[in-house]
Amino acid sequence: MSALVFELKGKPDQRLDLSPLTPARLKDLKPKDIEALVVGTTREKLTVGDAFKVKGKDASALRFVGTDGRCDKIGGGLTEGEILVEGDAGAYLGAGMKGGKIEVTGSAGVLAGASMLRGSIAIAGDAGERAGGILVGETLGMKGGLLAIGGNAGAMVGERMRRGLVIVGGDAGDYAGARMIAGTILFKRKVGSYAGYGLRRGSLIFIEEPKDLLPTFGDCGVLEFDYLRLLECSFRESGKAIKLGDRARRLMGDMSVLGKGEMLILA
Amino acid sequence: MSELKIKGVTIVETFAEAFPMVGTRIIITAPSLEWALISARTMTGFATSVIACGAEAGIERTLTPDETPDGRPGVAVLLFTMDTEKLQRQLRNRVGQCVLTSPGSACFAGLEGEKKLKLGASLRFFGDGWQMSKLIGGRRYWRIPVMDGEFVCEATTGLTKKAVGGGNLLVLGKSHAAVLAACERAVKAISEVPGVITPFPGGIVRSGSKVGSKYKGQIASTNDAYCPTLKAAVNTELPLDVEAVLEIVIDGLTKESIAQAMRCGIHAIAEGGATQGVTHITAGNYGGNLGPHHFHLKEIIA
Repeated sequence: MSALVFELKGKPDQRLDLSPLTPARLKDLKPKDIEALVVGTTREKLTVGDAFKVKGKDASALRFVGTDGRCDKIGGGLTEGEILVEGDAGAYLGAGMKGGKIEVTGSAGVLAGASMLRGSIAIAGDAGERAGGILVGETLGMKGGLLAIGGNAGAMVGERMRRGLVIVGGDAGDYAGARMIAGTILFKRKVGSYAGYGLRRGSLIFIEEPKDLLPTFGDCGVLEFDYLRLLECSFRESGKAIKLGDRARRLMGDMSVLGKGEMLILA
Repeated sequence: MSELKIKGVTIVETFAEAFPMVGTRIIITAPSLEWALISARTMTGFATSVIACGAEAGIERTLTPDETPDGRPGVAVLLFTMDTEKLQRQLRNRVGQCVLTSPGSACFAGLEGEKKLKLGASLRFFGDGWQMSKLIGGRRYWRIPVMDGEFVCEATTGLTKKAVGGGNLLVLGKSHAAVLAACERAVKAISEVPGVITPFPGGIVRSGSKVGSKYKGQIASTNDAYCPTLKAAVNTELPLDVEAVLEIVIDGLTKESIAQAMRCGIHAIAEGGATQGVTHITAGNYGGNLGPHHFHLKEIIA
């Protein structure tokens, strides 16, 4: 069966809330019912049929084609199945998701993967502010799963994260990993100021040395970490070739809070 | 005695009687294979028999760097006891005292299983609050700070209740040297079989036992029927020209693995043929009433 495809007809004149379009919600719906679902966010009613050309049948694999940065909440609360976005995604991409897989060929807006619990999100382009951060109404940021950002991440990536892994392929903004409780963020390139601000536990792994480090992190020197080997092997197993090696400078902090977190700057 | 023979070595028509056990596998890695082996040998030391060691353990095989979770050389270790609670205690004590302490080591689960045993989940307390938990690829690991860096230890490992202990072969021969050489060959062949260990020294036992004794409080005593020096005094199982008997005891994760190990062992023993001094291959049992697993030698080599 071919994937259920939603092709954006033209630039919509309002932001769209695409959270109703998840495999779990669509699997028992007829094409007519799917087209009748409301995705508009203003007083002007807008349905799936108004905004998208719908093709295909298999609701376990959704495809969004030609979407732009105003298509919000794609895969919001996703529990199962796969979503491929050929284009950009708006705010709240995969926010609060509990399973499944989302892939975006373009960039995503703010709060991508916010408070997600399980599953994986891969964004080929950039992610806006607070990727893996706290969803409105939640107390914790990302609580599990994998968020891979190919391009740059905005400020406060992984804010108040509790568990899971974030990989930032490009540069990250200020306050990266702020107020983190636990979890892991891997930064492949530059990181803005105040990384690890309020870090309680968790690991921030830097392939490039950050340009400024908070004074509330204490240096443990360069050491060998079997943990890094384990991580590299697990990346390799899941098809990601990220070379970490086994040596890193360890900084503990943030000493202004619990201070049991760490920065590992690869040596 | 039946007349089934391989290369002139008589295969006695009898069976090995074995018992259900609970077992687990762990993987120990280290900076070098040598150090992984040191750690594994230490952990599996004094683990020949549950009678007085608390557990039966041994090295299953060595692992190349691409077979281990952290890409370092490693060793797979099997550990068996009679019940889950004892297995948990033995695992914690042995890994805690022999692997955690070993330079550069790390320890991982080697068995999936519906039931889990705590590994790092109990050893983490050694970290005194500085331990860190990491969830990687759906598996939980503990990073415990130690004086040479960190001890990385997976939180749990699987256990199997389908393990079997006490698969055995008795080798009779005309000289001690011949029987020992044959048993060495067998242990080497059995070491290639997955899922089994031979827990005794070098895989070989010279003091096979029978249940009970003339002395009160002695639960096992020498297997007099197989002692060559007592041929004239007891109901011996030995022909007059047999000078020595050695036994190979096999524990395995499944009964199929034991059968395969016994098959490999029998063929390795008989390889030299009767001309080299081995006369009989037989097996130990208690009449078939004590253990539910019976490995008939005739069926095994069929």
